[in-house]
Amino acid sequence: MSVATQAMSRVKSRAEGRPASYYAGLVLRYLALIAIGLVMFIPFILAFLGSFKTDAEIIAWPPRFLPTTWLTQNWVKVWQTDLGEGGTFPRWLFNTAFLSVAIAVLEVIGCSMAAYAFARLRFPGRNLVFNFMLGTMMIPGAVTLIPAFVLMSKLKLLNTYWSLLLPGIVSAGAIFMLTQFFKTIPRDLEEAAHIDGASQFQIYKDVILPLARPALLTVFILQFQAMWNNFLTPLLYLDAPRMWVLNVALSVFKQQYKAQWNLTLVGAVFNAVPVLVLFFFFSKYYIEGVAYTGVKG
Amino acid sequence: MQAQKSSVQGEANLAAIGAFVLIFAILFTIALMNAPVKATAQVTETLGSYLREVRTTALPFVAIVGLLAVGVAVAAAVVVRREWPDLTRRRALIAGYSFLAPYLLVTLTFTVGVILFALYIAFTKYEIYTEPTFVGLDNFAKALKSKQFLQSLHNVLWYAVIVTVAQTTIAIALAVLLNSPMRFKQFFRTVFYAPSVTSSVVITLIFVWLYLKTGYVNLLFSKVWELFGLHYKAIDWLGNPKGLIQLIVELFGGKIPSQQWYLRGPSVAWCCLMVQNIFTTAPTFMIMFLAALQDINPSLYEAASIDGANGWQQFWKITLPLLRPIVVLVLVLSTIGTLQIFDQVYLATAGGPLDTTVTPVYLVYTEALGKQGPIQMGYASAIAFILAILIFFFTFIQRRVIERGAEQY
Repeated sequence: MSVATQAMSRVKSRAEGRPASYYAGLVLRYLALIAIGLVMFIPFILAFLGSFKTDAEIIAWPPRFLPTTWLTQNWVKVWQTDLGEGGTFPRWLFNTAFLSVAIAVLEVIGCSMAAYAFARLRFPGRNLVFNFMLGTMMIPGAVTLIPAFVLMSKLKLLNTYWSLLLPGIVSAGAIFMLTQFFKTIPRDLEEAAHIDGASQFQIYKDVILPLARPALLTVFILQFQAMWNNFLTPLLYLDAPRMWVLNVALSVFKQQYKAQWNLTLVGAVFNAVPVLVLFFFFSKYYIEGVAYTGVKG
Repeated sequence: MQAQKSSVQGEANLAAIGAFVLIFAILFTIALMNAPVKATAQVTETLGSYLREVRTTALPFVAIVGLLAVGVAVAAAVVVRREWPDLTRRRALIAGYSFLAPYLLVTLTFTVGVILFALYIAFTKYEIYTEPTFVGLDNFAKALKSKQFLQSLHNVLWYAVIVTVAQTTIAIALAVLLNSPMRFKQFFRTVFYAPSVTSSVVITLIFVWLYLKTGYVNLLFSKVWELFGLHYKAIDWLGNPKGLIQLIVELFGGKIPSQQWYLRGPSVAWCCLMVQNIFTTAPTFMIMFLAALQDINPSLYEAASIDGANGWQQFWKITLPLLRPIVVLVLVLSTIGTLQIFDQVYLATAGGPLDTTVTPVYLVYTEALGKQGPIQMGYASAIAFILAILIFFFTFIQRRVIERGAEQY
């Protein structure tokens, strides 16, 4: 707080010192901010407007900004897409949402358990396992891609939710982040619980987890987003139309609807909106998560 | 007293044996699951048929991994025997590994197990429905002689260098801009970060559409050309295989023959994907830099401005040196990410035009699934390992170079 007030007073004193150049700089800075903001958002705006255009207008030269007629039918058409074998749009939406939520929940449980062991328990081999985990973070995903596919095919898990859920129970990055967070929680409460005869599991469940709620929410959101945006693994493991996730379906849209870019864009916007909405509501947790994995890691 | 002690010792021995059996069983099961055998429907039909196949074709693999498993299990048994007599330490041991169990089981199966399998099949000819046959270093030799693979390395190196430098620079610039005192900071931060939360599939599809011959990118260029009274001819951005260096040479009337493709530089199509990638990942790194900037003590800047340093000097002499650890991290993360680029290529160009956007991970995908010719799992695995070695090499070099630079401070 005091740092913030110091900064404020510094700004004020500077503003009083040299008004003309200061205000010119200020205007320039806000213009730059607005311009960059527009650049970041314009592809989404163009795609959203494009999703209402007609087949002809979407690829007409020169492209116009607003659609001449707002064709809401495009959205209905995409929603009713049916490629047979149970490959329908609502099904893909369900697959994506289900997998994203399920993986996020599993990660929160699996990662917080491991993080509790790393941060709070003392047992032989702990540092060895922790360093081993840091080592696995260095392994590029390209190496495990093919053998994991073969393993899934042997276990007959291809085209089941399990093929994504089982490996998704834990992730080294999230465990690392939670371990760092758990270490910052004061030990007094646990010691009190310990004296009252609580088991390690009770301490984890009733003391640590409630105190770590913001960090757990961050893990949940980041993992939800990671699964929602995941493409390569679902492309490999879930190739039956009824098991597709939105991303995989979208990649097919491009061929399915060839020149009908308006329909492909509907799919793209449909896919982008849930994560964007989630992000706008929980942007604090997103940003803390990214910053935390980066700076403290 | 004596009897009590020996009974405790007996209990510890029993526990040690139990630990040995349990751990060996788990590790051996993981080894069996990842045994390199042909994965046809007959083989995987029942457990019996699978084990029979393992016995006939994958004994060496299972034996080697089995020996490793014995080693780990013995170590575990020794620890259990030592810790068991002390109640607190016994409880800590059991609790610790119970909490770690989900992590360990998943990682040992889906990371360690599969990597051992991948390492093994990289030295074999393996088509998933045939038995793996040992071919030594053939897959690696084949990769290093394949023009397509060499081109994929060439592409991805250009990509890594340009994208990493550009997005790190942009990320620092955006972070510094956002870190200055202002209103609506949260709002701008959220807006800037939006492209990073959207899926690469969505962004790629939107950009492919923007890059169309009748798309907005061409519209933008034609408007700018019009300002200068010039006529603009729409470009098929993603279909253009001409290299940047090639274009410059041709501007001066020269020519680069196709035998010297590696001198042509990144193609126009490839550069388009670079722009898109910078657009989506720069905001992520911006957030990391922003968090680091907020940790810098403001009194440093006050002292500098009293000494008469202007904003530019403060940036080079204070901000950048203090950001050094984050710069290392961002460079490493960015290199790892860009060397493994896949989604954009798969969706936008499928490696074309003329292989100028083909990448190693894209080749791993196409070779392993037989998207261009027969299934070649062993070859794909060899490519993946060459890429992994390259990634380790670059992260190592970056750390060394930048840490050596840091010694001046």
